[in-house]
Formats: sequence, structure tokens, C-alpha cells
Amino acid sequence: MRDVYVAGIGITTFTRLEYPLTEIASYASMMALKDAGLTEVDQIYVANMGAPRVNHQTALASAVADSLSLLPAGAAAIENGPASGAAAIKAGFQAVASGMDDVVLVAGVERMREVNNLEATDFVATLTHPLTEYIYGVTLPAHAAMFARLYMEKYGVTERHLAMVGVKNQNAALNNVWAHLQQEITLEGILDSPEAMTNNPYVAEPLRFFDACPVSDGGAAIILVSKEKAKELGRPMIRLSGIGQATDTHAVFEREEPTDLLAVRKAAQDAYEMSGLSPEDIDVAELHDAFTILEIAESEEVGFFPKGEGHVALEKGETALGGKMPINVGGGLKGRGHPVGATGVAQAWEIVTQLRGDGEKRQVAGARTGLTLNFGGFGNNVVCLTFVRED
Amino acid sequence: MSVDLEKILRPIDHDLAPYEPKYMMLASGEAVVVRQVFRDEIPDLLKHVEPLIHVERDFYDVVAARVYAELLGYYKHRFQDQYVLALQVDGELAAIVNGREVKPGLGLSLHTLAMRRGLRIGAHGFAAKMEYHIDTLGHDEVLIVAESPIGFRRWMIEYKLEKRFEIPHELGGVPSWALTRELFDRARSKLVVGRRPVPPPLLEKAMEKILPPSDPPTPPLDPLAATRALYDPTATALVQQRWEMEKGAGNA
Amino acid sequence: MAREIYAYKCRLCGTMHYPFRMVCKGCKQNDFFEFDTVPLPKTGKLLTFTTVYNLPAQYEVATLGLGIVELENGMRMLGQIEIDDPEIGMAVKGSVEVVRKETYDDYYGMVFTAA
Repeated sequence: MRDVYVAGIGITTFTRLEYPLTEIASYASMMALKDAGLTEVDQIYVANMGAPRVNHQTALASAVADSLSLLPAGAAAIENGPASGAAAIKAGFQAVASGMDDVVLVAGVERMREVNNLEATDFVATLTHPLTEYIYGVTLPAHAAMFARLYMEKYGVTERHLAMVGVKNQNAALNNVWAHLQQEITLEGILDSPEAMTNNPYVAEPLRFFDACPVSDGGAAIILVSKEKAKELGRPMIRLSGIGQATDTHAVFEREEPTDLLAVRKAAQDAYEMSGLSPEDIDVAELHDAFTILEIAESEEVGFFPKGEGHVALEKGETALGGKMPINVGGGLKGRGHPVGATGVAQAWEIVTQLRGDGEKRQVAGARTGLTLNFGGFGNNVVCLTFVRED
Repeated sequence: MSVDLEKILRPIDHDLAPYEPKYMMLASGEAVVVRQVFRDEIPDLLKHVEPLIHVERDFYDVVAARVYAELLGYYKHRFQDQYVLALQVDGELAAIVNGREVKPGLGLSLHTLAMRRGLRIGAHGFAAKMEYHIDTLGHDEVLIVAESPIGFRRWMIEYKLEKRFEIPHELGGVPSWALTRELFDRARSKLVVGRRPVPPPLLEKAMEKILPPSDPPTPPLDPLAATRALYDPTATALVQQRWEMEKGAGNA
Repeated sequence: MAREIYAYKCRLCGTMHYPFRMVCKGCKQNDFFEFDTVPLPKTGKLLTFTTVYNLPAQYEVATLGLGIVELENGMRMLGQIEIDDPEIGMAVKGSVEVVRKETYDDYYGMVFTAA
């Protein structure tokens, strides 16, 4: 198995984009191709969840291949729910590592705002179990809310802790020009003030408005190459060092221990093993905070903090920029936005940016290793990636 | 013998009790002041509403065009018993809400137009309006409709408004919904937020002058591009407009 | 006649499944559809719950109560809850009612109330 390096990255602003889906994917891809100095690739993977349903378009990868004039490269779309992005990166990795391809373009894209909010909520809810969950009207916020309630009961996490994650991440996004939200919020405004209930109403109790990520459109792209190609292109030598993926029960109620995210734990363990790293070695991390409770739970399951103590580290400021274990310094999903198929690739984009030293105001000083955690379904399909800077 | 036409054309406004200003803290930690705007300040509002007529998304165009007409009608004495409330953050206009009295005991909500997004200012404005109708003007019922689906969900379903479908709302004749005193009282703890009185420096800043919104929704360069695109299957008008905007913005 | 929600019992090893899966998670040896249907018990205790405010398009109500219940036989399920003051651990009982309406179809599922 060959080593795989990142030669180029690209991203669009995450916001409401009035562009067709193919164009959004192509914009980010073009940026990555220019970054790498390439006009040809061997293979394209496009990560996306909703094109057939929300955008009335199928065979998206074929469209992107043509739009980028990359014919006759092979192309395929990868749908893995909210973990499409990292799953597509895994496919790209396998193509290069196996020796089959030397240059692979991985683009993630989503255009959720082509439909209204109610339709978008329903679209995301289709990942739940059709006969035992979806028909009841369960939504992802509902799942996260029930999970949060258990976490609050078992580990003493409070609404305040959840709000702290929201404030940390939304305000971190102010340092990221590509992020969806560019509005500062305060703990007082969303939690303490007499008007907090109107500012921050319940979405699904106990989760509130600022505990959930926005609905966004956007695209991100990354180019994976062999070692020889990376040296030839002369870009910073950043290696995709570890990948882990694990699945768990489809129906959330069938999880062994309702407060555990076993797929996160296993995916991270496999990524660490493959890369020869352990949690202490990670300098900067991108966790999947579609809901604030998930950042807390994931920070424990990937091994940064003991189980049940993620909120304690949060309180101490350890997970903010400048802290011992900076998490989501670019805004995470909460601040940057969550175009579902693009997120996994956008997380990789942020980590590569950090490892290149291009983080500007949000740069984690001296970052040499990074981790991304892409959480699919409601924890039933999780992909973990690790990156290291070698030069 | 000259006939005073104005006397015939001008509606007679009843004495509506004035709105007592209040203030709230937003999610950003900033304070927003809600206060009534009278005829003399309407021109200051009109100039900030006009650009929104050309923003073709989220029904801004329809709402802004109607608000413009309502405010102008109020200003020129061709609209009976209308009130206008402005929401200001540090003097800057953040939202306009308006409504009118149909007859004693019955109010009608006209519009909520927010210039500042992402902080639920529209929600604050709407609640302030309802409080004014029911608590201050003594209306037993307020008739409401919504242009946008977001408005519909929030108001009709969340507040559990009652159907008054036999009454066509003057905004296009669509079936009306009603907020009754009973419904309002039940939702009071959720609906009636904000504090009075407004601290003098805050109130002074708001009353001094209506400052332009710093980051309002922007109209496209070609105002009717989206509409024209409906008749142009290749959507070329939209594409070209977008490229023009790109050159200006320099960013996707 | 009361409606039931069914669990699926592997004919080879007896492992109970809800939801249905093609391959028995216990023995993995079953033949295609080698299961028996067993009605799920209708009593249990509430493990966690939420009140949902932001509902998908098909729901015309303001809020929806959802909960995960641990049934008498140890299996768990998700259901709608119609309980004024839900509490973790409280006893609940269920009945099968319409839980979702699409354009022309009604979908049935378990609705739990306080026992």
C-alpha cells in the first residue's frame, strides 16, 4: 500500500448559493486543481447526499467530470449520508494507495437550500430507519435531543455546556471567511438574558436554536496523489496517514449503550492504529458538531478526554483556540455551515490549511498532525481521518 | 365655494394609544429598541425599504413593495389607523413592523420586514406587535396572514392561531388567521419578552435618528433577472448576472 | 381488534429482532425470511424523550413528543409520546395509532401514554 499525499485543496463560501450543484462542485474542484497546478486527474469521486432528491439530479460525478474538462477520467458519486465527504476521501485514498491511480480529485458538494427548510429537514430525516423511526416524524435534531437528555442525566452536562460549544464555534467562524455564519453571539444573549427564549428557542427539547448547525450550500475539494507526484508538484508534504470507518445499528434505540458512540470510538481507534498515532499526538481536530452535544461526546470517544468529561475540558477552555486540544477552530459545522455532502471534505480542507500554516487568525501554532471526524447517520456510519505534515 | 377635497379623501384616524418603547437583548449581546414611528419619520424608513423591493429571495420583494405602499399611504393620509414600529440596534434600523385597527376590538397585522438577519429580530418584532394590539390597543383579536413559508410555520402553527377563513385578508384576499386574547394570554410567557422602561441613553440613540442598516439584504445588479429567467429556459440572464456580481465580489 | 407492532424471532436460534433484519444478528445462519413474528409488548419504561418544534413538512401540528421506550421484554423502540410531564424512567403504555399521514396513506406506529 503506497503513501497518499494531499496536493491541492479548494472550497466555496458556505451560505445560500444560487448556483447549480455541478457548478458549486466544480468551483471548489477548480480551486483545488489550480492549487495543485494540475489540469488532469485519473479519477474523480464526488461526495453528495441529496442530489437526486433535493436537486432533481442524478449521476452527479459524470456532470462534474465534464464541467471540469477532465474527460475521460473515471468518476463516481459517493453517498454516505452526512459522512459522504470522508467516505469519498477514503475511496480516493484506496485508489492511490493501491497503485491504481496517481491523481484523484475528491469533491464534496451539497445544495440544500434549493428547497425550503421543512423539505430540507425531511430530506435529512430520510437517513433514519424507515419503518421504525422515520414514520414517527423523527428528525436529526430529535435524535440529538434524546441523546443530549441522556448525556445530561448520566454525566451532568447542562444546557449551559451546550450553549458554550455553540458560542465557541459560531464566534470561531468569524476568523473564517468561508464560513456561513458571520455573526457574533454571546452566552448572555442566548442563555441568560430575559429574552433568551425568543433569541434561542427550543428546536427539540433540550436542544435550542443555537445548538444546531445552519442549513447551508457549499462545496469543498481535495486532491490526493502518490508520493512521487506530490514531490513533483512541490506542494507542502501532507500525508493522509490514517483512516478508520465503522458502522453501528441503524435504529438509534438499538444501540448497545444509548450514551455511547461506538462507531466513533472504533473509527478513531482504527485511524490511530493505521497512522501510528495516539490521541495525545493530535494538534488540531475537526469534529462533527451538527449539534453541540455531538462535539462534547465525540471529543471523548476519539480519546481526547475520558468518557463523561468532555464538558469539563470545554469549561476549562481546553477545546478553544489556544487551548490544549483545539477543536473546530474554523467554526466547525455550527459556524462554518453543514452542506451535508461537502462537510467531510471541508473538515479535511481545514486540517490541511492548518498543517500548511495558512490558518491566519485561526492558526493553531505549530500544528503538525490533525484529525477529522465525519459522523454519518446518527452515529451509525463514522469515518475518521488523520493527517500529518512531513516536511 | 371651494370644496376641500382632502376632507373627503383623507381617512379619519381614531385615537390609538401610543406604543411604549421597550428593549431586548439579542443573541449577539446587543440591545434592540422597539419604538413607534410617526408620520414625520416615515421618509427616513422609506429610503431603507425601497432597495429591498429588488431583493428577489425569501419574498423580500413582495413584502418590501407592500410595506413601501403602506408606509407611503400612512405618510400621505391615505391609510386609516395604521401604526408603525421600528426596531433599532444602536440607532441602526433592524426591522419594521406595522399593522392597523380595523374597528375597536379588532386589529390587523400587516407586515414584518427585517433588515438584519440571523438574530431572530423578526420574531421580536412580531411579538411586540401582538402585545401592542392586545394589551395596549385593547383588541380582542388580530387578523394575520403570511407571505413566506417560514412566517407561516412560525406563526400559524407555533402560536396555534385560529382559522378565520371566512375573512379575506386585505393582503391579497387570502384566508386569515387570528390571534385571540385567549391564545395570547396562554402564550404570554413565551411571547411577551423585553423590558421597560428603556434606559435613557439607549432610547435617546434610537429616537435621535433612524440610521441606515449596516448589512441589509442586497438587490442583484439586474432586478428582474430571476423573473426573466422563468421565460428563458437556459437561464442565461441569471448566469450573466451572477458573473457580473462575481467580478464585483471576487469570491464564490 | 387492536393493531400490533411485530418483532422478528429467528427460527434457528430464537434471537429477537426489532427492527427487522435479513440476517439474524445472533447466529447469522438463518435462511431467507426464516423468522416468526411476535407482537411487541405494549408496556415499558421511558428511557429518553424530546418535544420536537421544528417538524418536517407533513406534520400540521405545533409540536411532537417522541421517546425511546424500553419494553417489558427488554427490547427498545422509538414511539410518539403523549405525556404532559415526561420523566426518564417513568412507566408507559402504548397503543398502535396513526403516527404519520402522507398524501393518501396513513402510517401506524406506537403512541405511548403514562401508565
